[in-house]
Amino acid sequence: MSARRRIIALVLIASAAIWVTTIALALDAMRKFESTPGIAADAPQRWPSLQAIDRNANGSTLVMLIHPHCSCSRASIHELAEIIEAAPRTLHTFVFVYRPKESAAGWEQTDVTRAAAGLRRTTLVIDQDGAAARRFGGFTSGQTFLYDREGRLRYAGGVTSLRGHAGLNGGRAAVIRLANTESGKATHPVFGCAINSR
Amino acid sequence: MSMESSVTERAAELSAQTIDARRVKIDRMFAGLLVIQYLAGIAGAFAVSPYAWAGKERVLHMHVWIAILAGAGIAILPVLLAIFRPGTALTRHVIAASQMLSSALLIHLTGGRIETHFHVFGSLAFLAFYLDWKVLLTATTVVAADHFLRGVYWPESVYGVTNPEWWRFLEHAAWVVFEDIFLVWACILGLREMNTASARQAEVEHLSEQEQLKSAALEMALAEIRSAPATA
Repeated sequence: MSARRRIIALVLIASAAIWVTTIALALDAMRKFESTPGIAADAPQRWPSLQAIDRNANGSTLVMLIHPHCSCSRASIHELAEIIEAAPRTLHTFVFVYRPKESAAGWEQTDVTRAAAGLRRTTLVIDQDGAAARRFGGFTSGQTFLYDREGRLRYAGGVTSLRGHAGLNGGRAAVIRLANTESGKATHPVFGCAINSR
Repeated sequence: MSMESSVTERAAELSAQTIDARRVKIDRMFAGLLVIQYLAGIAGAFAVSPYAWAGKERVLHMHVWIAILAGAGIAILPVLLAIFRPGTALTRHVIAASQMLSSALLIHLTGGRIETHFHVFGSLAFLAFYLDWKVLLTATTVVAADHFLRGVYWPESVYGVTNPEWWRFLEHAAWVVFEDIFLVWACILGLREMNTASARQAEVEHLSEQEQLKSAALEMALAEIRSAPATA
C-alpha cells in the first residue's frame, strides 16, 4: 500500500470514529438540553396583589411569564393560543413580558412579544425588571398560572413538552381541563430561559 | 467464445460502467448537499435561536453549538468517502444514514416542526437516484431506529406525550415505507431499463463489428480480383 493510500485509509477511519462519536454525543446533549426544565415556580395559592392589574372577575385568569428573547418561548406562545381557543370565552389572559432595568428602548419588541400581542382576549403587560414575575414566584420564561374566578391557584407549570417544542403535551391539556372544570389542581415542568434567579 | 455470450458479457460491462458512473455522480451530489445542509443548519440556528438568556445576560444557544459540531460530525465521513471512495456500496450506505441523521438534526433545530419532516421524504427520493433499493432500506432503518429509540427513552421529543402506545413508531415508519414501496419499484425499473439499453448497445456494437469484418473481407476479395492477371 502506498503512503497516500495509507493516509486516506487513516483519515477515513478517523472520520468514521468522529461520525459514530458525534451521533452518540449529539443525541445525548440534545436530550439533556431539551428535557432539562427551568426552575419551577413558587406560586402563591391566592391571586397576588399587583399594581394596576386586576384579576378577571367573570371567569378564570391565565398568566404567562415571557422572556421576549427566549426562542423556546415561541412554542409556549403557540401553546397558549391553543389553550385560549379551547378554554371558555370567560377566560382572560395576561402575558407579562420581561424587561430588565436600563435596557435599550424597544429591547422587548421581538417576534415573541408580537406573537403574544396578537393573542385573543389577552392583555400584554411589560414587566419591569421581573417585578410581576417575582410576585407570582416565577423564574422561567413560559411559566403559566391559572387562577379560578375565586382567585385560587389551579395550575402552575409550563405548557410545552420540552424546550422549544410545540405540540400536544400534558401541561396544555391540564390547563384546558382546569379552565373548563374549575376544579382540581395540576402542575407540569416548565421549559424556557431564566427570567429571575432564585 | 460464442457470439451470444460475448454480446451478453459486453452488455454487462456496459451496464456496470453506466451505473458506476451514475453512482459516482450521485455521491458527489450528496457530498455537496451535505455541506449545503450543514451550512444551512448553522444559518438556521443563528436565525431562529442565536442566544439563550438568563435575565439580561446571554450566551450562545445550545442549538448553534449542536449545528456547528454535530452537523460537522454527521457530514465528515460521507463527504470524505464521496471524495476518496466514490461509487462504492459503503459510501452509498453511509451517505443514506447521514442524510437521515441530517434530517433528524434539522428537525431538532427547528423545534420539531412538522414541516421539517418533509426533509426525510425529499431525501428518500434523492437516494432513489442511486437505483439501489438497499440504500433505501438503510435510510428507512435509521429513521425507524431513531423514532423507536426516542419513543422509548424520550417520547415527548417525538410524540409530545410521555406515555405513547408502543406501536406509535410503526405509524411514523409506515409513511416512510409507503414512499419506499414506490421508490424501490422505480429503482428496479430504472435498472432494468438501463440493462435493456446496454444490451441494445452491445448488439449494435456487435453488428457494427460484423459489418466492418464483412466490409474488410469484401475489400480483400476485390483487391485480389483486381490484382489477378487476365487469362482470357
